[in-house]
Amino acid sequence: MNHRNIAFLRIVSLAVLIVGTTSLASAQALNSGAQPIALNATLAESLTVNLSANAVNFTLAAGTAANPGSTNITATTAWVLKPGRTQVVVDAYFASAAAALTDGAGDNIPSSAFYISDNAGASAPLVNTVAFGAANAGLQLASVAIIAGNRNANRTDQMAFNINLTGGTLPQLPANTYTGTLNIQAQATP
Amino acid sequence: MVDRFTTIRAVVALGFLCTLGSFSARAQVLNSGASTIALKANLPESVSLSLSANAVNFALSPGSAANPGSTSITAATSWTLRPGRIAVSVYAFFSSSASALTDGAGDNIPSSSFQISDNGGAFTALTNTVPFGGANAGLQLASVFVLFGNLQGTRRDTMNFNLNLSALPNLPAGTYTGTLTIQVQVI
Repeated sequence: MNHRNIAFLRIVSLAVLIVGTTSLASAQALNSGAQPIALNATLAESLTVNLSANAVNFTLAAGTAANPGSTNITATTAWVLKPGRTQVVVDAYFASAAAALTDGAGDNIPSSAFYISDNAGASAPLVNTVAFGAANAGLQLASVAIIAGNRNANRTDQMAFNINLTGGTLPQLPANTYTGTLNIQAQATP
Repeated sequence: MVDRFTTIRAVVALGFLCTLGSFSARAQVLNSGASTIALKANLPESVSLSLSANAVNFALSPGSAANPGSTSITAATSWTLRPGRIAVSVYAFFSSSASALTDGAGDNIPSSSFQISDNGGAFTALTNTVPFGGANAGLQLASVFVLFGNLQGTRRDTMNFNLNLSALPNLPAGTYTGTLTIQVQVI
């Protein structure tokens, strides 16, 4: 048997020894007891509305239909909801249908004369009863169906405003400064 | 005269015999058989693990990468081993990689979003297959090479926890619960 064969046999023997040792060690593995750690992670529900601005001015022309607001306002609605919620709505509303804006002297601009165009859509008056505010003093800007893929999501509503002074007695609206508060609010249901 | 001489010789002879008998008695000391007592002391192998606490809470922020656990937990491992052992390894694992934590309504946080920093090291997700738990649901916290000098030994692993929700931007609100298990194996 030459030196090459001897070396080969030594290598084979060593490999067999290593494999055998490894197998033996695996078979005799010693384990500790399993120690559990309880994990509790809470992702709270949230629903928020942020506005790009909080004031709009109007320069009124008596009896005219087009009295646009000085600026558009974007409402960004964001939500993180639990399973089971099916809808998110965004509403604009006044506290009174009869007196959305008033001069404080008994002269009022009703909510029916106040229009909003949402995301460049058609202008619509605030004449509906929505989840918030007074009866017939609101407008639903958006309704989002909630599914598994959008329980954590957001949307934006860019609102353009107009006051239409052509209806009813509004052509006779006296000159004055009329002020009011328009509210934007979101609701997730059920 | 003859009788007297004879008597003296008899006395001397008797004395000699007594002395000889005494030496002979010493040479014949009597021993019992050796009774053996078999001694057997067994120091069994052991490996134990204890945790400084058993619960961690997380206040999650949607889509955020950093949602740290409320507390760190230290795992203290002790071992007494036979010669021939080569390594002590500490593992953290979940039983399932897909649902390490769940809200019970089908919404899950996978083990790949659960991270551990061991002894101040980098945060690492539980994405490996280890001797315990589900496939791709574990992390080896430590591996100690065993030599003659540390057949008895201890080590401590202080674990900080984090839930990375950056890959789960649509996770719904809810309470997610799960069980992380720490276990040690000696080979």
